[in-house]
Amino acid sequence: MDWAKIIHDLFFDYTVRTVATGSTLLGIVSGVLGVFAMLRRQSLLGDTVSHAALPGVALAFLLLNSKAPLVLLLGAMTAGWLGMLALMAIVRNTRIKLDSAMALILSVFFGFGIVLLSYTQRLPDASQAGLNKFLFGQAATMLEADVITIGILGGIALLLVIVLWKEFKILSFDRDYAAGLGFPVGVLDILLTTLLVTAIVIGLQAVGVILMSAMVVAPAAAARQWSDRLWVIVVLSAGFGAFSGVSGVLISGTRTGLATGPTIVVIASTIALLSLLFAPNRGVIFTSFRDLKNKRTMRAETVIQSLYLLAKQHGDPQYPHAEAVLRTMSANPLSVKRSLKHLESNGLVANVHESRWALTAQGVLHVEKLVARRRFL
Amino acid sequence: MKIFIALLFPLLLTFLTGCATSGSQAAEDLSTRKILATTTVGMISDLVTHIGGERVEVTGLMGAGVDPHLYKASEGDVRALERADIIFYNGLHLEAGMSGVLERMADNRKVVEVTRGIPRDLLLAPAEFAGAYDPHVWFDVTLWMQAGETVRDSLIEIDPGSRDIYEQNYDKYMAELEKLNAYVLEQVARIPVAHRVLVTAHDAYNYFGRAYEFEVVGLQGISTEAEASTADVQNLAEFIVSRQIPAIFVETSISPRTIEAVQAAVKSRGWDVKIGGQLFSDAMGDANTVEGTYIGMVRYNVDTIVEALISQP
Amino acid sequence: MTDTLPMSAITVNDLTVAYKDQPVLWDVDLDIPAGTLVAIVGPNGAGKTTLLKSFLGLVRPAAGQVLIFNKPFSQQRRMLGYVPQRGSVDWDFPTSVADVVMMGRYGTLGWVRRPGSADRLKALKALEQVGMLEFAERQISQLSGGQQQRVFLARALVQEAQIYLMDEPFQGVDAVTERAIVEILRNLREGGKTVVVVHHDLQTIAEYFDWVALLNVRKIAAGPVAEVFTEEHLRRTYGGRLALFSDGKLNGSVLPEQLIELPEAIH
Repeated sequence: MDWAKIIHDLFFDYTVRTVATGSTLLGIVSGVLGVFAMLRRQSLLGDTVSHAALPGVALAFLLLNSKAPLVLLLGAMTAGWLGMLALMAIVRNTRIKLDSAMALILSVFFGFGIVLLSYTQRLPDASQAGLNKFLFGQAATMLEADVITIGILGGIALLLVIVLWKEFKILSFDRDYAAGLGFPVGVLDILLTTLLVTAIVIGLQAVGVILMSAMVVAPAAAARQWSDRLWVIVVLSAGFGAFSGVSGVLISGTRTGLATGPTIVVIASTIALLSLLFAPNRGVIFTSFRDLKNKRTMRAETVIQSLYLLAKQHGDPQYPHAEAVLRTMSANPLSVKRSLKHLESNGLVANVHESRWALTAQGVLHVEKLVARRRFL
Repeated sequence: MKIFIALLFPLLLTFLTGCATSGSQAAEDLSTRKILATTTVGMISDLVTHIGGERVEVTGLMGAGVDPHLYKASEGDVRALERADIIFYNGLHLEAGMSGVLERMADNRKVVEVTRGIPRDLLLAPAEFAGAYDPHVWFDVTLWMQAGETVRDSLIEIDPGSRDIYEQNYDKYMAELEKLNAYVLEQVARIPVAHRVLVTAHDAYNYFGRAYEFEVVGLQGISTEAEASTADVQNLAEFIVSRQIPAIFVETSISPRTIEAVQAAVKSRGWDVKIGGQLFSDAMGDANTVEGTYIGMVRYNVDTIVEALISQP
Repeated sequence: MTDTLPMSAITVNDLTVAYKDQPVLWDVDLDIPAGTLVAIVGPNGAGKTTLLKSFLGLVRPAAGQVLIFNKPFSQQRRMLGYVPQRGSVDWDFPTSVADVVMMGRYGTLGWVRRPGSADRLKALKALEQVGMLEFAERQISQLSGGQQQRVFLARALVQEAQIYLMDEPFQGVDAVTERAIVEILRNLREGGKTVVVVHHDLQTIAEYFDWVALLNVRKIAAGPVAEVFTEEHLRRTYGGRLALFSDGKLNGSVLPEQLIELPEAIH
């Protein structure tokens, strides 16, 4: 891979620059709004809305007889929006829960969209609209006009998020309380969800209906792993999204035959996966190690306390006892040896003779401290 | 008693379905009525119409502007295929989405791949599509004439009684195709050699290029299923600029976005390339127009190409 | 006691709330006096949370009205501080304790304006009041149940309201925290505030509260604890369930003699 050429192209080649800019903007917008969707437990909504947008695209073409990108996008937005409204109506008025309702809307709308697509493919001129390219996106053919549209719509969305930051924050955290304070939560709800729909719709061109939900979920999920402060998470999410966009374009641009949209999504997903595994504090690797360490500490403390109790019966806190005795007192007899080794390495017990163990002076102090702190079980 | 009825029911069901499917097996004497032929792309419909003449009623599945690479048969299409006495399709993976359906149809009726008569060494095998041939044979008029021969022979096979009619129609149509071929050669000669480069949305014109001495470059490969990448757009733009090509072409069955993206890329490199016009590639024009026939379409394509490339800035 | 005060803090007239044809509150009338500690009591599903929510305008009544200091609640939002149930919130939300408390200032700030240093100061003071100052920068996911409750309380305090509405604030909270919260409520009352609490523990009603409203879709009885918290009313409120609560453990205004009779009288 010729990095010099890649970086050079990013700034100086019209095609790469245009597509990369569009994808980066897309990554930022979906990253930011994805955080709020995730916090409001609406991540899957992204999937629902993007699939629901498909019939809108087809209908816009059929009814308005136009293949202008803006028209198709408006169609997508309307359908996505309607899908969302239908979803809320179902949840509110029937016994169907959110996840089932989402699956319902998603499949019904998408199915309808596919039917419309196969109908339109029979019409003369229909393929001109490139309707089925909406399924997987066609990032490489983004024009400046597309990027400008993304920029404007995305910019408005981001501006609203910044301006209404505290409103969206309290709405996502405690809706009822916000309503009690007098905020029009219904309106804010719809506004925030509309922004999400906007983000999804502008992303459809690059990444397509089927994969768009990943761009709303992955950067946000990844960002959550690295911080506990909302604004940091939002910025990180935007960053991850932007990075996925740019690198997706650059990497798929190095050779022919690599589809851009899916490459972007693969990168975003990889970032999410790595974050889930390796993030400090919340990452799986980290928590596993921490859990193991805690278990080891607890087991060791049980053993040292048993040793103390036994020794006390002889009046001498450093009286040695056989390992076998300790094993009978333990719930995990097999781990006793390991615990003793661990305690020995910390200087708290000493191997007196064969398999007999005793507390060291330091060990005695340690146990007495535990007793004082009332952690003696 | 109950067991008997319980067993009877599924047996009955199997028997009935068996009867339903094996309907049209009986060898019919087709000389008493019109032959029902169902075809896939418009070029084949046109071919069969001309050769079959009054004896054949043609139902074409894919109309004007339809992309056959992505086409999937609908319920209505399946019924049209089932009704047919004979089915004509292009093959060579042009109708990629229909291979399963066509295979099933072969059980009960004649299914004819019109390109089967063309010797394999005359077919183009592009490097990137290892193992598969380029299916767009109809742009080489001489190859298409061979397809006509296959059509004639297949019709004679199922309806030997009308042999004379088919042979007559075939001869007449071949004469017209010969004239067409001559016309193309004549027109193409008017373009200066340096300008004989055809840049389009996908690789549909390789046979045209070979037959009429054109260099042919498509943005997407043989099939429109693949997504163009930025590298594709870049490479094509550089090619256009370096050769100073005056015009590139969009296709009726493909979104113009891709070519517009190439045009923008070319403009950013300082060269102004025009969109020379809309060409028919995998589909023909509307029925009832001149471009709705094979001959009309080819003439239209050639005229458009020549006019765009001949103009010297 | 009630007739010496100028006006009721909360007046409820003929309030009826239904949820899909099922009545949750039916024809409820209440006159909650200002400056008192009020308990709302009743079995599960009796409409207690709904009553609280209707004071805030969070549920739309099928009939009736709610007045806060004789004005409709929509004009009186500043007067009301709300402490919802702890379970109503996702405690894994990425925010700090101080941040949550500052949310109580959002109402005063109105649209767009962000909380400033003055608001932060008030938040810290409220945290100090509830004994949570050292946790100000802690993530809320790291809090225990009692601590979460106190944070919610601080958030309501920061609103500087006149009436505080609390939904089961003692639910799942340790004894120490419970004592602390009761102290704060008493201080509020000393300051002339009205505190309305949905409460589930019958044993502590007489000890903590001045006023009680017994609710089971309808208002069974409401008034000073000494007058209203009787066995008769309780039986009407809880129906057959009263047997589970008794065993002679009913406290307060239930007469000692009746405690002995209880086991025979109920079956």
